Amino acid sequence: MKRTAFSIATGLLALAVVMPAHAKDQPDITMAINQSPWLNSFVAMVDLYEEETGNVVNLDVNPFGGLLEKIRNSVRGSEGTYDLVNINSLWLSEIYSGGFLAPLGEVQEGYTLQDGVLSYGATTNWDAAVGSFSPDGALMGVPVNGNVQVLYYNQAIYDELGLSIPDTWDDLYANAKKIEEAKGIYGFVPRAARDSIVYNITPYIFSHDAAFFRVTGPGQAAIGLNTTEGLAALKTYLKISGEDVAPPNPGAIAQGELIQLLSTGKAAQAIAVIAAWGALENPNESRVVGQMSASLIPAGPGGTHASSAGHWVAGIPKNVSAERQRAALAFLDWFQSQALQVKYVEAGGVPVRGDLAETGLGANNSYRFLGAYSANAANAVMGLPFAAAAEASDAMALHFNRAVIGEESPEVALNAAAEVLAGILERNGFTVTRQPDL
Amino acid sequence: MNTMIKPGVVIRRNKRWLVLSLAPVAVFFLVLSGFPVLNLLGLSFFDVEWREGAAEFNYIGLENYHRLFLEETIYWAGVRNTLVFAVTVVTCQMVLGFSMALAVKRAGSVGRTILTGIFLLPIVIPPIVIGTMWRLVMGREFGLANTLLRWFGLNEVDWLGNPDIALASVMFVDIWHWTPFVFLLMLAGLESLDEEVLDAARLDVTGFWQEVRHIVLPLMLPTILITVIFRVILSFKVFDEVYLLTSGGPGTATEVVNFSIYRTFFRQDQVGYGSAMSVVTLFAIALTIILARGVLARRRNAEEAE
Repeated sequence: MKRTAFSIATGLLALAVVMPAHAKDQPDITMAINQSPWLNSFVAMVDLYEEETGNVVNLDVNPFGGLLEKIRNSVRGSEGTYDLVNINSLWLSEIYSGGFLAPLGEVQEGYTLQDGVLSYGATTNWDAAVGSFSPDGALMGVPVNGNVQVLYYNQAIYDELGLSIPDTWDDLYANAKKIEEAKGIYGFVPRAARDSIVYNITPYIFSHDAAFFRVTGPGQAAIGLNTTEGLAALKTYLKISGEDVAPPNPGAIAQGELIQLLSTGKAAQAIAVIAAWGALENPNESRVVGQMSASLIPAGPGGTHASSAGHWVAGIPKNVSAERQRAALAFLDWFQSQALQVKYVEAGGVPVRGDLAETGLGANNSYRFLGAYSANAANAVMGLPFAAAAEASDAMALHFNRAVIGEESPEVALNAAAEVLAGILERNGFTVTRQPDL
Repeated sequence: MNTMIKPGVVIRRNKRWLVLSLAPVAVFFLVLSGFPVLNLLGLSFFDVEWREGAAEFNYIGLENYHRLFLEETIYWAGVRNTLVFAVTVVTCQMVLGFSMALAVKRAGSVGRTILTGIFLLPIVIPPIVIGTMWRLVMGREFGLANTLLRWFGLNEVDWLGNPDIALASVMFVDIWHWTPFVFLLMLAGLESLDEEVLDAARLDVTGFWQEVRHIVLPLMLPTILITVIFRVILSFKVFDEVYLLTSGGPGTATEVVNFSIYRTFFRQDQVGYGSAMSVVTLFAIALTIILARGVLARRRNAEEAE
């Protein structure tokens, strides 16, 4: 009898341990996601969600290069495989404009992002009539990783040389020059490889009050690249990528090389994604643990600051059942809360809220990047807010990269980039106002 | 009762049997090879857009070809680089592969085993490992090659970042990777030569080089031609080494045709335009091979006539 009672008690205890805190109230959902360095922090949040709610989120993890094709295949079918798709900022306009996602306000009547969640230049909303991102457009997704660019600098070297955080591009160049002369290391590293130069040059362009193009109305665009401001921006980029402060042949430096140079202490400053913070602070990968700090990206001559949005947004495809769409939104809604985002940061994630510096995290030295992150996220822009963003980025990248390696003058590069961009916009249905050649 | 079957009937039956037995293979080939190519050709006349979750196929005639021939920059840089790449790497691989095969053929049994093992090593390494391995060797700041140069007091070289030498660096890796393939075919060809014929012919020549030039090379010509065709086709398909080492840059220094097509199809999702690029590439390669075969056949016929 005693033995039976003990067995029942043990069984009940085991059941209590394995049972979630709340009863499962949603069907299982599947999310397509990328294998990026921050994945483990997201997995930790999924585990927490499953533990708290009893609902199940299955993750289909893919390499970055293969994720877009998987998303396309799923959302273009009559019945989708994925209830949630994780979309990189460069792919957002293609997926939004294709009409593959259910606006969140249709999944749940009147749904909006929670207060404090960043929209990264309104990239969570799509205005189909204009053919671009707009705060007036329908809410299409929820950010799950706020990977914007920030200015990294080696605080230990700054302290040693008595340098101040640069407010302008000239200040940044002056700091780079002093570091190069005093320490014999690279004062600055640009990420100027062809594949990533458009993303990297965006803060320079927008902080100089230029733009690749501006949407001036429904189906209307004005080129803003081959202008006096655009020329000043490119010249600033070339100056700070010059061999007197940066590595030779910067036209081949991609993100991997940039992080390598910072983490080995061979370079002291760079503009890079906030997701690089983890690698710089990892004692197994970095020689500068505890030495790096992050800051607002310098301003242009008019005092404008800008950063590039390189974030990820989770969207809910139209081609899954309404029940699964609601389950997907339940997870996204849970994910946005401030308390949860604090846990996300503690797990190594890049948050999607701008108010975390005000929490206890802000005072913790381990999360000293949060202030810079919030400030840059507030200035984040999507440089190419239209459906053919990837095509335009590739076409312009060639000319920016050629300017960096000296194959084209800044004027020729900007005129050529502006012309190919205008052609792509016109093929995509825009009426384009061009600028006269520089 | 024996029935005599007329020869004409036998021929007809044989023909019928030939047609029936080959038909499944022909259909299989048409479905797997012909249909995708025709589909590609058809798509090249369309602009494919996605709206409201559905594909819209807009017929635009020759517009994609017009764009490709009159407005495109990157693809044609890729064509130029691919031609330079193919001619250079195939020439180097043929010379090296043939020389290595001759060395192994003349080596003793132990030496032959060791040399074959060493020579074949690069071809068994997966391409992704080769890309990573050579990036670690050729990296400017932390690469093994520059570490060695610095060790000897020499200036470091930006193997993959300098636009003047980046393509040569990629070609070097391809030569390292694929020479064993040529070596293997050459060795098989050399091993299959009739020793009695060689012994008889050796009486007419003096020295090793004369033997190679006047006996071995002519006898090896069919093997050499097949190997060249194989390697030219494979070198036009180069992708992984470029993708992993340089991504086509700096500028268009290492851009190749396949990388342009990949970017257009998969990154930019321009199905119609990517199809036009693919069709032009496919027909250019097919035409080159047909012309090359035609020239070789004419030369062979002329030699036989002499």
